Amino acid sequence: MNLTVNGKSATIEAQGNVSVLQLLDLLNVSQKEYVTVELNGDILDRESFAASPVQDGDTVEFLYFMGGGAL
Amino acid sequence: MGNLGQSLKLDTLLVHGGSAPGPSGATKPPIVQASAFAYDTAEELEDIFRGRAVGQVYTRIGNPTLESLEKRLTVVEDGISTILTASGMAAITTAVMAIVRAGDEILSSSSLFGGTYSLFKDTLGNFGVKTRFVDPTDLDALAAGISAATRLIFVESIGNPKMDVPDLAAIAAIAKQHGIPLLVDATVSTPYLARAKYLGADVVIHSTSKYINGTANSIGGAIVDCGTFNWQSEKFPHFEPYFKKYRNFAFSARVRKLIHKDLGACAAPFNAFLNGEGLETLALRMERHCANALKLATFLKGHEKVGWVNYPGLPDSPYFAVANRQFNGRFGGLLTFGLKDRASAFRVINALKLAKNLANIGDTKTLVIHPASTICADYTAEVKALMGVSEELVRVSTGIEDAEDIIADFAAALDQL
Repeated sequence: MNLTVNGKSATIEAQGNVSVLQLLDLLNVSQKEYVTVELNGDILDRESFAASPVQDGDTVEFLYFMGGGAL
Repeated sequence: MGNLGQSLKLDTLLVHGGSAPGPSGATKPPIVQASAFAYDTAEELEDIFRGRAVGQVYTRIGNPTLESLEKRLTVVEDGISTILTASGMAAITTAVMAIVRAGDEILSSSSLFGGTYSLFKDTLGNFGVKTRFVDPTDLDALAAGISAATRLIFVESIGNPKMDVPDLAAIAAIAKQHGIPLLVDATVSTPYLARAKYLGADVVIHSTSKYINGTANSIGGAIVDCGTFNWQSEKFPHFEPYFKKYRNFAFSARVRKLIHKDLGACAAPFNAFLNGEGLETLALRMERHCANALKLATFLKGHEKVGWVNYPGLPDSPYFAVANRQFNGRFGGLLTFGLKDRASAFRVINALKLAKNLANIGDTKTLVIHPASTICADYTAEVKALMGVSEELVRVSTGIEDAEDIIADFAAALDQL
């Protein structure tokens, strides 16, 4: 499955459907407890990570509030 | 080794919760005494500034040593995020300024640490934020104090130095009914007496300088976001961009990316390290603080030269029932007692040998102070009365020495009267 993750192309090796929650593990996303996920331009509620499927061609952004100064 | 979850008891979480191994398996976090953090490429730093990647930029905004204690406090308080600050006052200032704007109102307990009263009344008052001060144990007065402009309720879990104990769950219900957050300064109760989140706090404030540090060797503060308040509200349009991007982290994001960044009251890495050291032994120390305070309060209560004793752990305290319920039979290390007048209070303080006369609480050492002439000296008689401060009052922060020695010290000092 090919995705655009934080502006870069990424290929995921996965069988069957992949949820956003699973994607966090597959991509070894750091500090999962603090990450906000934007899927195809929509910010997801944390509660919906497990129920949100990721599909080929999707654009995913991982966002953190802890770092720099820009909003 | 996996992450430790919330199934563990508090005493265990204080030691292990949120901790990650340091370099070479070190059981302590490294003290990263650096101002700034370098990256190989402009793209990496851009990603961090845009929030696309995790990383440190500048210690005013974040630092690995601070982050270590922030994660531990988040686990201990069962919150979603913590921001360390330079002091407890910096924590209150930062948290409150993230929420209120000119024209807004704060509904605050009238039973406050003097610095907090001054912040609300004078400093924020000068920027167009009005504070209504209400007795936090009078729920009707609290509810009546809320106006259309009120944006938060602020209380101390145990009032310092009034020693009153508000019913936090009842106050939280009032806050919830009006769609505003409850901020609780839990410095005196600490997580050992109760996790304030479980009593309804949306934001928990600590002066980590006190019981968390425990040995009075460094100043610090903490803001814990419990993640319980919905900031997507017409009362909080200034949270909209933060909610839109960070959802339930909206408060933490507004604090970290705007107010804390701009105020600049950041914790020092070495202070954060020392406060983290104290956190590990908080339960053990608090157990002794509580036991010694009850013994000292009971002794003072029975002393012929003591007019009154205010300690929520005394069964005849008007706050005993609420405190007993919400703090599970623990009442903290702080108490006040009254003598005949200021002169007799001074004579007792001057005659104490073990207890130190100074402006602090939460040390291993027993501490005393005469608030009316020191930390509350700037306030009018009316404000002092509001805070429960009278001329004959002595405040005691009971230490962890042997209770017999503490009592003997006070007995000998009272003999001087």
